[in-house]
Amino acid sequence: MDQRNNKMGWLFTSPYLIYSLIFFFGPLIWSFFLSVTDWNLIAPTFNIIGFENFMDALKSPSVHSAFWVTYKFMLIFVPIVTVLAIAVAVLVHGLPRFKSLFLIGFFLPYLSSGVVSSLIVKGLLSYTSPLNVFLRKIGLDIDWLGTPLSALFIVGLILAWKFTGYYALILTSGLESIDKEVYEAAAIDGVTERQRFWRITLPLLYPSLYTTLILAFGVTFGIFTEVYQLTGGGPNNATNTWQMEIFKQAFTNLQAGYASAVALLASVATFISIFIIRKLLEIWGKRNGWV
Amino acid sequence: MVGSNRNRGVRRTVRYVLAIALLLVMVYPYLYMVLNSFADWTQIDKQLLPTKYSLKSYEWLFTGGETGITRPWLHAFLNSVIVSLASTVLMMIFGVMVAYALSKLNFFGRNAINNFVLFHMFFPAIILLIPTFLIIQRVGLYDSYLGLILPKAVSLWAIFMYTNFFKAVPTVFIEAARLDGASDLKIMYKIMLPMSKSITTVIFLFLLMERWTELLWDMIAVKSDSMLTLNVLISQMFGPYGSYPGPLYAASALLTLPIIIMFIIFGKKFQEGMQFSLK
Repeated sequence: MDQRNNKMGWLFTSPYLIYSLIFFFGPLIWSFFLSVTDWNLIAPTFNIIGFENFMDALKSPSVHSAFWVTYKFMLIFVPIVTVLAIAVAVLVHGLPRFKSLFLIGFFLPYLSSGVVSSLIVKGLLSYTSPLNVFLRKIGLDIDWLGTPLSALFIVGLILAWKFTGYYALILTSGLESIDKEVYEAAAIDGVTERQRFWRITLPLLYPSLYTTLILAFGVTFGIFTEVYQLTGGGPNNATNTWQMEIFKQAFTNLQAGYASAVALLASVATFISIFIIRKLLEIWGKRNGWV
Repeated sequence: MVGSNRNRGVRRTVRYVLAIALLLVMVYPYLYMVLNSFADWTQIDKQLLPTKYSLKSYEWLFTGGETGITRPWLHAFLNSVIVSLASTVLMMIFGVMVAYALSKLNFFGRNAINNFVLFHMFFPAIILLIPTFLIIQRVGLYDSYLGLILPKAVSLWAIFMYTNFFKAVPTVFIEAARLDGASDLKIMYKIMLPMSKSITTVIFLFLLMERWTELLWDMIAVKSDSMLTLNVLISQMFGPYGSYPGPLYAASALLTLPIIIMFIIFGKKFQEGMQFSLK
């Protein structure tokens, strides 16, 4: 640790330090301040109203829905994407050739903008779409985005479509790091294919599975585009995510002070949830003897 | 023995068939989008695969067709290119710089900065959205390129990835270069960067893709038509052009294809890099 290193170290990190001063500490202080005002995004003055915003937010049905919708998306999105990613990874891993071609193919949906995938889904589910024409023929008339449960599922499925290939890529490299000798030894012992998956593959895959699970849980806290585009948070707040709620309050209702309070609550909820999820995943892995 | 060989062959075929079927399901939405953008307007959203084609949708994008409402398509496309390239390049440069300092320079305060980067990375960013908008507005960057670029000029993830990989580069190389009188800047770009070429591709493509498809910030930071990015313009089209899905599909294809082409061009490098970065 000499003089030269000190100088260069601070010089090289200075762009980041300046950035975090302006775009992290600045906003952070502002948002604490805004949350105790009734500011409306336009007025020249700020009225400090204490904790009223927080009281209102805690009582607001749409804030309650934003809280629960996150966990509903978790229940739908995380299992689907995990199962699909494992399936894709195991399937592709067992192919003798064209492995990387397949992986890139499955990865393609990750490149889509939420706006574009929403547009496609809207087209596929429109009143005159082949699917709906067929369903009406057999007597089913479903308002896909107007029904709370199906709207939740559709957004969850879009996300699963998008992230499966990405997570499968992570899982495949986990599979590749498993020693082949383990499988050979198991084959000699006459282990069935099912046992092989549950007793060998899954436990040894746990480190990469842990990564994908943490990523997947994280996704559910940041859903915006698909919901904004397809449902606007509806029907009846069924898909109202935190980001949707904050965006609506700040930029549609112009309640910037109130929205800041909601954002603070959202951050606390996110932080605590992710902490608990991490702990639970670690305990789960340890209890099974996977880590 | 013969029996088990045949068995293996069957199993392999089944695997290929399953993989191809699953892949077709996954890629179908893209196919649907591209084919619908070229479809005859009587068939859009009415068939799983359109059979009659025309270029009307693309023509509409630029002429507005019967409505005569032309939207700044090319302009929005260029905005997207400018904004996402500028942001991504800055995120790469700053990522490399900070990561080099954090991994290879033993300076006072390094641990503190390192810990702060980790904290910053896991901090829920949603809380910063409204005040960031205010800052941009107050300093007069609202509705400008800089307002779109600067808040996304640093990527914590890029810093984190690069720091991990630079740590793996043996310090001997750096010491040797220093003895030869190379500056830190030179070491960074002539030694560290080439040594992490494969993950550079991965980081670049991920950042570019994310910036290219960003909706929330691009929607908030901008008001005039000439500043819209393509993604936001398509998002707005859900409204006024709602009854004209053709041009929407065409615009979506224009938004999606460049990024797909990028990934196909860098496909092999990307795959190597992913493999390397996940080790």
